[in-house]
Amino acid sequence: MLAFITRRLLLLIFVLFGVSVLLFGILMTFSPERRAATYVTSPQQAKDIPKIIKQFGLDDPFYIQYFRWMKEVLKGNMGWSLVASRPVGEAFWNYFPVTLEMNLFAAPIVIIFGIWLGTLSGIHRDTWIDHTTRILAIVGWSLPTFLFALVLLMIFYGYFQLFSPGVLSDQLTMFIIDNPETFTRFTGMYTIDGILNGRFDITLNALAHLVLPVSTYVIVVVALNMRVMRSGMIEELSKDYVMTAQAKGADKKTIYIKHARRNALLPVVTVAGQLVALSMEGSIAVEVVYNRHGIGWWLAESAVQLDMPVLMCICLFMGVVFVITNLTLDILYAYIDPRIRLN
Amino acid sequence: MAKLLETVDLVTNFYTYEGVVKALNKVSLVVDHGSTFGLVGESGCGKSVTVRSIMRIVQEPGRIEGGKVIVYLDERDKQAGIDLLQQSETYMESLRGDRISMIFQEPNAALNPTLSIGDQVSESFLFHQKKEMCTKIYEDLCAPECQLFYPIKKIQQAVYGMASNNPYAVSLKIMNKVPILKRWQKRLKKEAKKRAIDIIDKLGIPNPAQVVEQYPHNLSGGMKQRIVIAIALACNPVLLIADEATSNLDVTIQAQILELLRRLKEEVISSILLITHDLGVVAETCDRVGVMYAGNLCEVADVKELFGNPLHPYTRALLDAVPKFSVEKELKSIEGNVPNLVTPPPGCRFHPRCPRVMGVCPQTFPEMKEVKKDHMVACYLY
Amino acid sequence: MTQQHPRLREFKFTLYRIFRNPSAIIGFSLLFIFAGVALFAPQIAPPKYPHNPYLMPHKGFSPTPKPPSQTNIFGTTSGQYDIFYGVVWGTRTAFKIGMFVVGIAAFVGVTLGAVSGYLGGIVDEALMRITDVIWAIPTLVLAMAIIVAFGRGLDKVMIALALVGWRWYVRVIRSEILTLRDQDFVQAAKIMGVSDLKIILRHILPNAIYPVLIMASMDMGSMVITASFLSFVGLGAPKGYADWGQMVALARNYIVGPPGDPLKFWYAIVIPGGCIVLFVLAWNLIGDALRDAFDPKLRRR
Repeated sequence: MLAFITRRLLLLIFVLFGVSVLLFGILMTFSPERRAATYVTSPQQAKDIPKIIKQFGLDDPFYIQYFRWMKEVLKGNMGWSLVASRPVGEAFWNYFPVTLEMNLFAAPIVIIFGIWLGTLSGIHRDTWIDHTTRILAIVGWSLPTFLFALVLLMIFYGYFQLFSPGVLSDQLTMFIIDNPETFTRFTGMYTIDGILNGRFDITLNALAHLVLPVSTYVIVVVALNMRVMRSGMIEELSKDYVMTAQAKGADKKTIYIKHARRNALLPVVTVAGQLVALSMEGSIAVEVVYNRHGIGWWLAESAVQLDMPVLMCICLFMGVVFVITNLTLDILYAYIDPRIRLN
Repeated sequence: MAKLLETVDLVTNFYTYEGVVKALNKVSLVVDHGSTFGLVGESGCGKSVTVRSIMRIVQEPGRIEGGKVIVYLDERDKQAGIDLLQQSETYMESLRGDRISMIFQEPNAALNPTLSIGDQVSESFLFHQKKEMCTKIYEDLCAPECQLFYPIKKIQQAVYGMASNNPYAVSLKIMNKVPILKRWQKRLKKEAKKRAIDIIDKLGIPNPAQVVEQYPHNLSGGMKQRIVIAIALACNPVLLIADEATSNLDVTIQAQILELLRRLKEEVISSILLITHDLGVVAETCDRVGVMYAGNLCEVADVKELFGNPLHPYTRALLDAVPKFSVEKELKSIEGNVPNLVTPPPGCRFHPRCPRVMGVCPQTFPEMKEVKKDHMVACYLY
Repeated sequence: MTQQHPRLREFKFTLYRIFRNPSAIIGFSLLFIFAGVALFAPQIAPPKYPHNPYLMPHKGFSPTPKPPSQTNIFGTTSGQYDIFYGVVWGTRTAFKIGMFVVGIAAFVGVTLGAVSGYLGGIVDEALMRITDVIWAIPTLVLAMAIIVAFGRGLDKVMIALALVGWRWYVRVIRSEILTLRDQDFVQAAKIMGVSDLKIILRHILPNAIYPVLIMASMDMGSMVITASFLSFVGLGAPKGYADWGQMVALARNYIVGPPGDPLKFWYAIVIPGGCIVLFVLAWNLIGDALRDAFDPKLRRR
């Protein structure tokens, strides 16, 4: 077990190295002039470009620039973000809680709903329950996240005037900015900070702002989970051990829940890594449309404004998330399936 | 001898893409109390479907569409036959694994790979002996030598007292849903596991206490088959159905398992319905034999009579295809293939391959006739 | 029963399975309509600028969308671009994106996967480590990084997605090949002295191609979604280009109408958006039907 985790952490270093080389390589396809231009803020400074190139060594060979950059990153300096107008590292911790908050609310719903609907659909194969859930899943799968988010906004914000975009209502945001001493941001997540500060109105307001993003996200992501669960159930229910259980006198519920569902969960665990990737992509669209300033919004904004240090930082972060998710999933897999031992 | 199981004109069809597969065409057989009935035939002739229909565990897209499956569970009461096809699913659940149980062909697939052996064996007890076990635990709890912290003992006594009256009471069901309260079952599960260890031990498996903690992939094929048998025998069934129980095992293990079955039949179970394509196994273990071909039962007789005096042309061909030490003739094979059961041949389904086919054969299906005492054949020759 | 070539019989059975499935019928009919619109785009909506037909014609520069009328049957979006024209030519854009991205990604992925799976050894190891690294970053994020490096534009979006998309195919085809490689018929061909290339092309690929087909059809949808999102963010098609994602972006500020009539500008979002959804739905329905038809565990009942 320990050896397994160590090996995975070594893999993490390899992946991070690979990701950084890849990204650095991609960004190095810029000419030195273009990269220097991002430091320039006014037309008058344009004549300084050659000087900037010289100063930062932007025309040095690839590996020299890479190791120079690497050294800074290891020191904890990720660079300066134009979009956030502050150091990348600092800005990251500012944006991260917003994304995390949404995912914390959405993930359990996706998992529980997906497994439940998939099981139901697999048990009642080829009945109306199955057909309805499948149609819903495939339609959900076909909805582009950003478009669905826009339509929800149109209906619920425009027509019913229920939920507004953003993270918190303007009044409360202004209040927090004006009175920093009465509201401490422990976690950066308003729902939790509201409770910790005893300001339940803030928690409620933040929750109301989460309704649309979370529902968008759940409807789009749940399809994959459900589909895998369904085919897993169908496959497991056709296996011989189900008949053994039947011959033992097991009732339907025991067969479905105790025998088949546990085994059908294995493929779900396998695709859960994909699910995490999918939800990261989904959070970009959701945050852009609902104007929630989290990691996804930051990334999209940085891509438009050519904010390269941010792109690097987020890609490295995604690499870390990817490896850690897979590590967790492998452990979970071994826990469910006794045939697998981690060594 | 008294009848234990009787099927009357059992019809089972499978609705597939190619069409309706008429897997069973009016199968009627009788298994007596205390006997071993062998069902033989080529693969795909409907042996497994027959027993699965008896147990009512035919999988999708199969459907049992006609006939009767009558069981006489009590040897003395000959009138009290129950038609299983008319019973509710709940009744069947209480019957399966308790009075009638089944062993499957492929021991590697028959066990759930993610549950421990102990879990899978003790399930049988939890399904069928819950009340009895609760009563036993209750008595143990009330016994003076029970050393338990007094309030806990009192609570457990109350719960198990209630459970021994009715283990499926609504209040217990509610308790089972509540996270902490559902721990009352711990003692029950422990008792079930103890019984599981007992039965595994009885089947001659070394280290039963260790085996129950293991998972199917830790055990060898023969071991797994013993576990499958243990599951089937857990509640001392009246009828054990062994569906090709030994076909996928090594010859030595096969012999051990057969020996085990024979021993168990004398000690615990009353009757065995043995399905096999191996005539040697039939000759060794069975009292009575039924020969199946393409969804039909074509000949039923006592084992000596069948091997000594086979009447149906198919039975003869089948026996001629078995290698024998004494005879130096060339082995005969049966011409042609098993018919496609979507479009079975009209009349007797064997007629296209039959060496003694007559004009009447392709027209109507021959009825089962008793040509001698206890020897039935479905053929126009007799 | 007449004897048919087994592959032909299998193929017929597969076709039967596919077309017994209502989702396939809906999917193929939707696709048929879209293909017709794309093919006859010049006839349905004659271009105003023949040298650059993908540029949407517009009368005036008013930012407020106008409802459907005699001249603009679907209305105009922000900037007075004709929605009908944009939708029709946007169909071509969508096909262009899907076919280009999926074609290149599948070709590269299948080739690399086949080589890596069949040869094994160092080649396999190296290729798999590279894919491991690329896997660590979600498609959209990596595509964004590439677009930032290459510059904006629909062509860059397509190249970026193709550069990212192949990794799926590598893994799928490789695992298929690993199971096929040790099977008897491949071993038999090897013993008979059939060349490696021939074994891959004649024996392995035809058997491993089904998952690729399923994935390609699902990918057509998801790549069009991703491309339209990139256009929506402003990294893809330029303003006024007939692209559904770009048209949604144009109308983005008009999702909420004036007080009293909050859904006034629905057409500017719903019409191009609906096209994206239906287009993607068509491919997903086909992919779903293919999956049902090809999955050996779910078929044959």
